[in-house]
Formats: sequence, structure tokens, C-alpha cells
Amino acid sequence: MLTQFIIEVSTRFNPFSASAKTARLFLTRLPPSARASGMSITTQLLPRNSTEPSALKIKFKDGLEMKLDCETMNIKSVVEVVDRHSRQLQKQADLE
Amino acid sequence: MPFRTRCSAVCGLGSAINVSRTTARPAALRIPSAPRVSATRQYATAVAPASQSLRVPDDYIPPTQPPTARPSDTRKSQLLRSYTSLLRLTPLMLIFQHNNLTAVEWAAIRRELRAALADVPQTGTQEVDIASKIHIEVIRTRMFDMALKIVEYFDPSKVAPTLATTLTGGKVKTVYNHDLSEAAYEAVRAATKANKVQPDSSVYSELAPLMVGPLAVLTFPVVSPQHLAAALKVLSPSPPTFPAPTRRKRPSYYDMTAQSGLQKLLLVGGRVEGKVFDIDGVKWVGGIESGLEGLRAQLVHMLQSAGLGLTTTLEGAGKSLWLTMESRRSVLEEAEKGPQEGEKTGS
Repeated sequence: MLTQFIIEVSTRFNPFSASAKTARLFLTRLPPSARASGMSITTQLLPRNSTEPSALKIKFKDGLEMKLDCETMNIKSVVEVVDRHSRQLQKQADLE
Repeated sequence: MPFRTRCSAVCGLGSAINVSRTTARPAALRIPSAPRVSATRQYATAVAPASQSLRVPDDYIPPTQPPTARPSDTRKSQLLRSYTSLLRLTPLMLIFQHNNLTAVEWAAIRRELRAALADVPQTGTQEVDIASKIHIEVIRTRMFDMALKIVEYFDPSKVAPTLATTLTGGKVKTVYNHDLSEAAYEAVRAATKANKVQPDSSVYSELAPLMVGPLAVLTFPVVSPQHLAAALKVLSPSPPTFPAPTRRKRPSYYDMTAQSGLQKLLLVGGRVEGKVFDIDGVKWVGGIESGLEGLRAQLVHMLQSAGLGLTTTLEGAGKSLWLTMESRRSVLEEAEKGPQEGEKTGS
């Protein structure tokens, strides 16, 4: 996954619900040095009995903010969506 | 190829070998000494000239190598065994998600955890050193999931014995109820069929959603709230009740490696005495200040004071009855006395 254009990731999930899978797996896709390279990552864990849907918010360098629906999307499609935008930014960065 | 028996298989047979068989053993050991020509020949001829009586039965199963449903010599199978024993023996276990921690970060976290646990004062009743047996261990999530299923759905005591052949060809009843056995495999498969609805009450169905992604478990040999609190202060600090160690007291906790590692470690849940807890539940267990001893003392005090109240209550009814009767008696006595005295004075 291309992560160098992401500046902010914020997740919010209840680990005891099945829909937390996507958000949790997205956190594992971030490289070990993500925080050191300036990405801000915040995670909020909900209590066990909460029925609030899992949330995953990603902010890119160009200011685009993505709110991804973790209930329906799996990690593959999330990565696909994020990479699609990252590749556009990569192209722009290469042209400059 | 001649049938080879390992020494360990033959030696470990104690009960399976008959007396007549044991007398034959020295003969078998003497055989290779006759044609000893060289060291290499000795190995090759060790079993080859064995007579028919020394042949191991074809369906003989060494007791040290019971039949298994999964290949027993793979790393995964042995991991499964170690996880099932871990789950059966560990009363308190915290589950963490680790997001790409590097080796140095793990080392820093373990160092800080060890230091924090060593600072926990030992109470008088604990002779054993708990702190040295608390470990944080990275697990293979899928194998751990399987181990959870085996621990939940497979009861080793209910496996029926089967007949196994001994070295002499006789049959003995043997129970194959280890965690890699066919019985364990079938029990788990029957319980987790795709169309079967899992009961919500089972520990497995509660823990199953947690078994996603890279996980690590922190295992405690006993339920010790003080040690749990110390671990929580390091691994998942939450200021009012579980503050992180101060910068002055523990400067190495605040170095770059340890902090970046801790940021990537995420407490997702826990399992305490077979019950599943979320973070708040784990913090509640860690917040039992005086430990289990303190809880017991509280309970004893409560029961004692309740008993005291009960005795006074029960006593009270009798006492008040006695008081009423006594006062009534004195009144009657006075009434009896009164007129007599009056009569006396009157007469």
C-alpha cells in the first residue's frame, strides 16, 4: 500500500464486533516508521456493548479526506481505494 | 527395509511389555555384538538378523507417538499444542494487537514491562515469584483461534478408549485424547459446522471477533491485580487510575524506541478465569487495589458484620419480650402489693 501521501489516519472501532476487522487490518498495513515520518494515527476503542459502526478516516497530503465504510468494505477494497488516490498524487509528484 | 524401533519407543513401554518379553530383551541386545566388524556394520546389522519372535507387530503404535489427525511433526501442530496448554493453564491473559513493531521496539517494551513488574511488592502469601513468569508473547492468530476452539469444544475426559496393539501382539485399551487427536479434530469440526449457530455464551464465540490480524498475548500465571495494574501502567496507560511511570523514575520508558513501540501496541481485550473482558473490564480487574487477599478480607468482614447484625436482631425479639414481660410482672406485683399495703394501712 502507498502510504507516503497519507498524513492522518483515525480509526474508531469496537474490537468485539466483526466489522472492526477492516479498520484493525488497515492499522497493520501502515509501515513501522509511519509515526516517525509525520503521519498522525489515532485509534479509539469503543466498549464491548456499543453498537456504533466502525469508522476509518484518512487524510491525504492534498487535503482530501476519505471516510471509508468499514461495515461493507473489506481490507482489499479499502487498500484499492486508498491506492487509487495515492497513485494520482504520485503521478503529480513525479511530473513536478 | 528392516523395521527399526527407536530406543525411546522400546524403553518407554513399561506397562506394555510382558515379563516374557523383558527376558528376551538382553538377547536382542546381545545379537549385534557377535558380527561386530566395524562401527558402521554394527548399526546396519543391529536389527536385521532378528528372528520372527523379535518382530514388532505391523499395527504396533509406540506410546510415545500416538496417532494424530494433523501431521505431528510440523511447527504449526506443535504451536497448537503449546497454545492449548497455554489457554488451559493461564487464568489471566491480555490480548494485544501489534502493528508492525520492530525487534528493538519489542525489546524495549519487554524491558520496561520487566522493570515495572519487578517493582510490584510481593505480598506475604505468594512464595513463588510471579513477576518472572509474566510474558508477552507474539502468537500466530490462526493457530491460536484453533486452540481456542479445541479448549472450548473438546473434552478429553469423554473420549472412548480404543484397542492398541502391544509389542507382544496383545491388545490393550488406550485413550488417544491429546489435542492433535482424531477425537479433538472431530469434536471441533462438529461444533463449528458452517450451518450451526454458535451459542453467544461460549467463550470462543466471544473471543472469536478479536482473533484478527497480528496479535500478542500477555500471560499471567495467577490472577494478581497488582501485577495486572503494573503491566497496564506500562503497556496501556490511562492517566487517572493507571498513570504511566514518571519521566524521573523511569527515563528509559520515554526514549524514542519504547514510545514508538507502545504507540503501536493496542490492548483489545482480555480473558480472566475463563471470562472475556473488554478494556474497561480489564481495567476494573486491575483496579482491585488490595488484590484478591483484600477482596477476601472485605468479604469476611462483610459476612462477620452481617452475622453480628443477625444475632442482635434475633436476640432483640427475645430481649424485648423478656423486657415487656418483666415490666408487666413488676407492674402486676406492684398492683398486688399496692392494695395489700392500702388494706394494711386501712385496717
